[in-house]
Amino acid sequence: MPHDKKLIQKLTEKARIIRRDAVEMIRAGELGWIGGSFSQADIIAALMFHHMKHNPKNPELADRDRLIVSKAHCCETVYGALGEAGYFSKELYQSYGQMGGTLQAHTERIVPGVEYSGGSLGQGLSFALGEALAARIDAPGDSSGRPVPRYRVFCIVGDGESNEGQIWEAVMAAVHYKVDNLVAILDHNKFQSSGTIEERMNMMPWMDKWRAFGWDTVEIDGHDFEAILTALEKADKVKGKPHIIIAHTVKCKGVPAFEHKNLHFCKISDEMYAEAMKALK
Amino acid sequence: MKRKYVLEPLGEMKAMYQAYHEEMVAMARENSQIVLLYGDFPRGAAGELLQKEHPDRIYDVGIAEANLITTAAGLAGGGYLPFTHCHSIFAVGRAYNQIRQNVAFDRLNVKIVLCNSGMLWPFMGGSHQIIEEIAAIRVIPNMVLVSPGDPVATKKITRAIAEHVGPAALRLSNPAVPTVYRDDFPFTLGKAVTLTDGTDATIISTGMMLSDSLAAAEALAKAGIKVRLLDMHTLKPIDEEAIIKAARETGAIVTVEDSSIIGGLGGAVTEVVAEKSPVPVKRVGIKDRFGQSGTLPELKEEYELSARHIAQAVRETVKRK
Repeated sequence: MPHDKKLIQKLTEKARIIRRDAVEMIRAGELGWIGGSFSQADIIAALMFHHMKHNPKNPELADRDRLIVSKAHCCETVYGALGEAGYFSKELYQSYGQMGGTLQAHTERIVPGVEYSGGSLGQGLSFALGEALAARIDAPGDSSGRPVPRYRVFCIVGDGESNEGQIWEAVMAAVHYKVDNLVAILDHNKFQSSGTIEERMNMMPWMDKWRAFGWDTVEIDGHDFEAILTALEKADKVKGKPHIIIAHTVKCKGVPAFEHKNLHFCKISDEMYAEAMKALK
Repeated sequence: MKRKYVLEPLGEMKAMYQAYHEEMVAMARENSQIVLLYGDFPRGAAGELLQKEHPDRIYDVGIAEANLITTAAGLAGGGYLPFTHCHSIFAVGRAYNQIRQNVAFDRLNVKIVLCNSGMLWPFMGGSHQIIEEIAAIRVIPNMVLVSPGDPVATKKITRAIAEHVGPAALRLSNPAVPTVYRDDFPFTLGKAVTLTDGTDATIISTGMMLSDSLAAAEALAKAGIKVRLLDMHTLKPIDEEAIIKAARETGAIVTVEDSSIIGGLGGAVTEVVAEKSPVPVKRVGIKDRFGQSGTLPELKEEYELSARHIAQAVRETVKRK
């Protein structure tokens, strides 16, 4: 059943705001990861402003759902979502990437609402696995005796970072322990740092690999809120295995002039800033 | 020679991993936050207990050390107290960045048990005998690094690192070692234990070298050289006060470790002595070479780690005063 139009409108608006705020951060820090930050923005908006149980007034809420962004260099839209949700004042955006600033150039747990300090690729899914296992310890069982985890863990994994072997160690272990409160979302934006996925390390097709390990799989357009929400809700229903949502995304999605380009790590010039603000106004 | 806290004669031979589990059985019952994680490694008594009574508090991730360490970090993020178990060479060697980034960086409450630690792992050869761990771990901010000298110290240290909130790594040697300490010896994390006192020189020992260091001190006493013996069971934070006091009061220091002297205990002590109270130092330990197969006595002889070698190092260092 399609989702409420107002909900989709709200999420579209939140995604626009967090992209716009990310541009402001990158301007303040004078550098940033606009491409990967924008490709994941709609997924983050759907999680943070609808699907996840969390409380910006109480970041340590005991049984909150967790968001682990494994590709932690793409921090600007994470900070943008947290600021928009009310975890901290948007004034902090001006401290992005600066000496003594709270908003470091890769996500860090010192920031209210950030669950994972990343920067070393390929590790976030293992961390998410640990968090997901913790949710099952001493958890009450359902009628069949299966533990009902106290919370869910969502992990955004990059296609480029999937070159790292540790991703596949976590993939293997999550199936072995039937961790069904773990939802990985592959931000498949088709680029890694120095070139396209196809040129640098072609691991496609993704679906076959995750399915072969035994994950519950679905492949979607990662900028279609209807598809994102449907996939997340399906993950809640499938028991006994972890879930992967392979999200086809566009690097730098949201500013048409930048899309499909490998704007991975860059400054935003005055011209680019004007272009971005026009698209995100 | 007057000895403090020391059994006379020395007690039962026991592997540190066994002593660790004897304590962990009690701790796992007392503390429901404790979770044991393994990288295809023997369960031990505490693991067997949890497997039976709390299967949701024991996990084996297979031969995948990177995932082992980061999964433990996630469990700590979820509020639990994970202890990881695998060979030290693979924890430190293959999951170094995970220890640094996922555990130490955020001061997550993960305890990394470095099993079969150090150079003195008989038979296994150079691929498995780790010489780098003291240097590699102590350079990481926020880490606590401990290295017990006998089974009694192993138990006390296991409990102490569980009570310490923050990351810690625990070196456990492979061979059975004699029980040196009486059960009631006072143990404080970060405070070296003085086993014998003297004014001619100080032996600073860490880990399983304790009984050989004690034997060296006794042999030297018979020859009229009175040695202070410190058990530096906590390598980080190192007990600077005890080192400076030893330098000032005895004027010569010999460090003893089953690890590389480059950056190891020898390096750590030398850093303190050179800056705070320069005196002659000699470092007994692995001298920039890899290990090899051999029995424990053969390895101690080849790598100059026996009581005889320690005593000789003291004699040479006393002459340089």
